[in-house]
Amino acid sequence: SGKASSKEMERIDNLFYSYANRSSGMIDPEGIETLCSDMEVDHTDVRILMLAWKMRAEKQGYFTLEEWRQGLKSLRADTLNKLKKALPDLEKEVKRPSNFVDFYNYAFRYCLTEEKQKSIDIESICQLLDLVLGSHFQAQVDYFIEYLKIQSDYKVINMDQWMGFYRFCNEISFPDFSNYDPELAWPLILDNFVEWMRAKRT
Amino acid sequence: MSNQKKRNFQIDAFKHRVVVDPKYADKTWKILEHAIHEIYNHNASGLSFEELYRNAYNMVLHKFGEKLYNGLVATMTSHLKEISKSIEAAQGDSFLEELNRKWNDHNKALQMIRDILMYMDRTYIPSVHKTPVHELGLNLWRDNIIHSSKIQTRLQNTLLELVHRERTGEVIDRGLMRNIVKMLMDLGSSVYQEDFEKPFLEVSAEFYSGESQKFIECCDCGDYLKKAEKRLNEEIERVTHYLDSKSEVRINNVVEKEMIANHMLRLVHMENSGLVNMLLDDKFDDLGRMYNLFRRVPDGLSTIREVMTSHLRETGKQLVSDPERLKDPVEFVQCLLDEKDKYDSIISNAFNNDKTFQNALNSSFEYFINLNTRSPEFISLFVDDKLRKGLKGVSEEDVEIILDKVMMLFRYLQEKDVFEKYYKQHLAKRLLSGKTVSDDAERSLIVKLKTECGYQFTSKLEGMFTDMKTSQDTMQGFYASHPELGDGPTLVVQVLTTGSWPTQPGVPCNLPAEMSALCEKFRLGYKEIEQATEIPTADLKRCLQSMACVKGKNVLRKEPMSKDIGEEDAFFVNDKFTSKFYKVKIGTVVAQKESEPEKQETRQRVEEDRKPQIEAAVVRIMKSRRVLDHNNIITEVTKQLQSRFLANPTEIKKRIESLIERDFLERDSVDRKLYRYLA
Repeated sequence: SGKASSKEMERIDNLFYSYANRSSGMIDPEGIETLCSDMEVDHTDVRILMLAWKMRAEKQGYFTLEEWRQGLKSLRADTLNKLKKALPDLEKEVKRPSNFVDFYNYAFRYCLTEEKQKSIDIESICQLLDLVLGSHFQAQVDYFIEYLKIQSDYKVINMDQWMGFYRFCNEISFPDFSNYDPELAWPLILDNFVEWMRAKRT
Repeated sequence: MSNQKKRNFQIDAFKHRVVVDPKYADKTWKILEHAIHEIYNHNASGLSFEELYRNAYNMVLHKFGEKLYNGLVATMTSHLKEISKSIEAAQGDSFLEELNRKWNDHNKALQMIRDILMYMDRTYIPSVHKTPVHELGLNLWRDNIIHSSKIQTRLQNTLLELVHRERTGEVIDRGLMRNIVKMLMDLGSSVYQEDFEKPFLEVSAEFYSGESQKFIECCDCGDYLKKAEKRLNEEIERVTHYLDSKSEVRINNVVEKEMIANHMLRLVHMENSGLVNMLLDDKFDDLGRMYNLFRRVPDGLSTIREVMTSHLRETGKQLVSDPERLKDPVEFVQCLLDEKDKYDSIISNAFNNDKTFQNALNSSFEYFINLNTRSPEFISLFVDDKLRKGLKGVSEEDVEIILDKVMMLFRYLQEKDVFEKYYKQHLAKRLLSGKTVSDDAERSLIVKLKTECGYQFTSKLEGMFTDMKTSQDTMQGFYASHPELGDGPTLVVQVLTTGSWPTQPGVPCNLPAEMSALCEKFRLGYKEIEQATEIPTADLKRCLQSMACVKGKNVLRKEPMSKDIGEEDAFFVNDKFTSKFYKVKIGTVVAQKESEPEKQETRQRVEEDRKPQIEAAVVRIMKSRRVLDHNNIITEVTKQLQSRFLANPTEIKKRIESLIERDFLERDSVDRKLYRYLA
């Protein structure tokens, strides 16, 4: 089986090099786009983000050989076809609650592209929210995005607020907010959001 | 050995030969019975007490104690029945007199009888647990006289009637009253209570309930209180004259309940004369009376306090939000001080300097002073006015008094930092323009601020004084080393430490070419001056005001003539201006209250300054506590900062979030209410 696994490794590497940029030795945005079209998946599809999570990709838009090997090996995919077929299972895996928090957290970090960047602009956050959380908490996400777009107090969102919103969706009764207590340590932006929602509903 | 038989020898006690006269007991009792009759008939002088005592002694000794005791009971009872008849027969007013006389007789008789029967009282009675003679006499009096059906109700009604007559202004025989009441008390506290006190209290309650109803319909609040006070004093006096002193509390309670507690709210809110009117008119006597009466009933003082507080808050709120008042900051602060003086003297003159009232006063002031966000600015302007001119010719002690009052207002401020900001600006202007009246007064206030808020608060203010002194010394040194400059124009230079003084944006001002052009042009519109000089609006207006609107200094003439500068105004060089001085000093008009945009700017600067203070407080607290929940952080931060300003919880939350973002803190992964300090 040692032989088999080295064979498998070889195939994984070959697949990598078929998309990698020769000079940088990484799969770059262009390579990812090709990969997507080969798998017949849109490059903005959440499953691509999930794939990045599985590979623990550090940098947005790039896969290193290390990351690729690690990810594909644990997906047990050494051909394009297998990789394509592994996607539904990957989706299930991510949606397990214990994994999802990690994925949600990863999604934010994945979008931090600059050195020392700690927050993400409102527009990108809206897209990201819709992408990763839209299917779980459609109503909350839609309203929150609406709020984010009309408010003027915040131009960016940080990790604390990002994680706070996930906790909010899980814990707070919607849309009556009956168990929401602003005295508790919710990020201020959620206090404002709830206040806005309540004003809107009356 | 039979002859040795000995008989035990026995000695019997010697037996008295007792007279066994079968009639002995009856005979002896007859003698005693006769004596008792004689005593009740006031014929005791012929009796030999020694003989009677011996007879009674012997009866007890010969085991006839019971016969003696029963005889006594029967005889005394029959006498008392006789007495009862004679009391019942007494008509009208003589009823009580007869009762009193017979009571005295009975007491005297009882005394004598007890003396005769002393031996029985001492030996026989305790051994068989019977009632001692004196007490027996009282009980028989109670049962046969006081509780006799023909006397009991009559006595009660007579007594209550007398009290009622006295209450309605008649003079009654208080001595007789006292004796009768004393009798009831002697018969035991339960007799006093059941046969007199209870009905007395009931009747009194009825009386005062009716009377208070009548009073409250027709009297104003002050009069009512006078009447209630009078009634209360009368009842207290009544107790000292003829009632048991224990009744004082009870009858007072009745009067207090009927006359005060039941009408408290109506009194306090009485139209045109209630508490608010008393406060408005400084009616110290009425207020004092109300305080002293109300303190006697439950919730009385809190009722006064609450009405006073809400009135004070309401008037205070009106005062601080009256747009007319806001036009003149000095007047505004003076009004606050007057209001405070007024209530201080009410509390000391009428409310016994009650601490709880003082607290209510303070909290009310704190409440409404802070309703107006300009209060800090105005208080500083008030000080500014005083220190520029208001204190001229005022004695040192009076200056201290004024400054102390200012400090008192300062203590009420929640935003002490805003005051500080303004104070610094105003002080800077005073110092730089040499306008301050008294250096001592300035320093005295700084010392007061320092004691109140600590060194940090005033260090920069003190630095400003040091700069002034240093500059002065430097100037003197300069001229001393250059005597030849004495006749030239004088130069005044002030060297100021950066950071100690309020920063002001650099003001562009193209002088003097344009100013001379101004003279040539003769007449200029405000807009043209503004364009030509590029001095910012607020400063330009202030300058023009100084040059055109101050009497004696008006080197410019303005059309139309008015106190303020309008944008449509036109300006001329004032040809008619004359002065006996070579040098005319034109000072800028005194610090005005700030215009709306200036105010906003100051506000924003204050808000900015608060951010690091809040963050520092959070970090200090978290550093020592390591883990703390949200509410506790908010509380502690607020507490730490309250000597300077009231931190807004939302702002604290913002600061905490900012500290989380910068990795000073993190949220606990399990309990999201908790924050952890990251070292």
